Amino acid sequence: MNRQAKDISEMKCCFFDQNTTKQFIEFLMSKAKVIAPHRKGEKSFSFQETHNPEEVVLNYNRTIQPIKKFFMPPRETLLEFELNGKPKVKKPEIKIEERIFLGIHSYDMKAIRLLDFSFDRDKPEANYFLRRQKSVFIGIAYEPDEYHFAQDLGIDVYDTTGFSLFMVPAEKGFLIFEVDETGHRYLQEFGKGLPLDAELQYERPEPTKKLKMHYNRLPQIFSHVYDSPVWKKVAERCLGCGTCNLVCSTCYCFDVFDEVNLNIKEGTRERTWDSCMLNPFAQVAGGENFRPTLDSRTRHRLYRKFKYLTDYSGELHCIGCGRCSYFCPAKISLVEIINELIEDYNRQQQHAAVTVS
Amino acid sequence: MENVAREIKDLYTPVIATISLVEQLTLSEKRFWIKLPRNQKLNHHPGQFVEVSIFGFGEAPISISSSPTRAPGFELTVRRTGRLTEKMHQLGVGSQIGIRGPFGNGFDVQRFKGKDMLFIAGGIGLAPLKSLIEYTLDKRHDFNRLIILYGAKNPSEILYPQEINEWTYRDDVEMHITVDRPDAQWKGNVGVITTLIPPLELDLENTIATVVGPPVMYKFVLMALKAKRLPDVNIYMSLERRMKCGVGKCGHCQINDSYVCQEGPVYPYTRIKELKEAI
Repeated sequence: MNRQAKDISEMKCCFFDQNTTKQFIEFLMSKAKVIAPHRKGEKSFSFQETHNPEEVVLNYNRTIQPIKKFFMPPRETLLEFELNGKPKVKKPEIKIEERIFLGIHSYDMKAIRLLDFSFDRDKPEANYFLRRQKSVFIGIAYEPDEYHFAQDLGIDVYDTTGFSLFMVPAEKGFLIFEVDETGHRYLQEFGKGLPLDAELQYERPEPTKKLKMHYNRLPQIFSHVYDSPVWKKVAERCLGCGTCNLVCSTCYCFDVFDEVNLNIKEGTRERTWDSCMLNPFAQVAGGENFRPTLDSRTRHRLYRKFKYLTDYSGELHCIGCGRCSYFCPAKISLVEIINELIEDYNRQQQHAAVTVS
Repeated sequence: MENVAREIKDLYTPVIATISLVEQLTLSEKRFWIKLPRNQKLNHHPGQFVEVSIFGFGEAPISISSSPTRAPGFELTVRRTGRLTEKMHQLGVGSQIGIRGPFGNGFDVQRFKGKDMLFIAGGIGLAPLKSLIEYTLDKRHDFNRLIILYGAKNPSEILYPQEINEWTYRDDVEMHITVDRPDAQWKGNVGVITTLIPPLELDLENTIATVVGPPVMYKFVLMALKAKRLPDVNIYMSLERRMKCGVGKCGHCQINDSYVCQEGPVYPYTRIKELKEAI
């Protein structure tokens, strides 16, 4: 799962024109459920099941909700119970289905690999892995917009790790790269597409260089900015709405509650996505709130991305999709926060140097 | 990824257990003796907790207040403080509840063998500590001195009068109680729990302090222990958080990078020093 795919320049490749691409989506739909980006309203995009290849939008900046919603639904029933007499408990069966995720950006794929880590850690969670196990991913290269900073976090636009096939938009169609055995099988079976043998020229987008320091150094920065004034500054603008958590591709915290049907004979235990930015997140029944301020919650959210989980997985748990900043109602930019923390760190270092000399 | 999930055991389905005894302890606290199906053992360590389900009301983390040496069956001491615990207080003998767990690390009793044990409990913090106290009493020869310090708000809130009475009259237990607000009959110590610490004569290198109480208590107890020059490595604390899932996923109990339901709730003080959100 974590094997690093080789560079696409070494992969077998063919060309699909627009029409062949549509036929290929139809072919995929005949194999399994296809999930792909669709339009949602005028300006937004959403990963949805494809019913009509015409509705698939392969040229998109980002979806509102990340792919995690297919493996950890925003709301799911953990248990069904009967209240008549002795309690009877049943776990609803989770349907294992084959799904092909089409048109996925490299950072969103990386997010799934990070979620795999999180759900496997300590006690592996069946709910997640049952939904996750029969998934095939077909990636696509994208044009970074002003909110993307995945490249700054070391996730290349052409990173094919985790994909079976990888699409690169070309004139009047797509270059289709065979990444793994499944992808190879699909292309064999589909049987169309123009084989390409010639040396390929594809342009790597310029690195965005939005972060003021190399991503390798970020965990180190976070070892020094716990008491930074930056947290309070951000908190002054933050509305504490939790949108950033909900659209985050690697957030997975949840809440659990019971619901009783109107007949009060049966009910369900539900889990929903939760948000560590919301005030009562760390509050216990007795009333004590262990993270009562917006600045401490902001810090916790970022530390979960750049330090806490990182110390265990060795990976940054932010993938630079830009969702939290793009959808923030207060226009708080994650890149700006990180850069301010970097500046704060640099100031500390200079100060330390001066004090020593 | 293929097939791995089939082998993963379900984390969220409780077993149905039965309440076999209920006792009103104080105005707002009751204890329940719980039996698992077929009289199975819970196999817990002192200091661990379970997730209690009351279907239709939800789930809550409750620490186990009895020692594993008193299995089968186990005791839960429950303060009426929210929707679920309020409902639990209405349940009687024979009622059925859901149980998941045991969860958390509990106290590492093997490391405490041969030591002087200093138990410091404030309020309902005595509940999780009672599991350890009973354990040391049941394996009395494995431990040296047993010193119990307990602080309650007022005499009517003293949690386990029966047990405390027994501990007080045992020669091999040193029991000290204090209350913040005495009533007319109270003849014992008055004051916060930290007032019990300075008079103690301790073999510092050989004494393990275990501390459980309300959040405000930890810092002050710690100051008192440090004033006594008890080594940091000999201090353990059990912390309260919102352990919602118990399996290191939901995020509610996190203290910095530590999931209390996995790494805690019992922490050596040396680890707490690294966790800025801890106390």
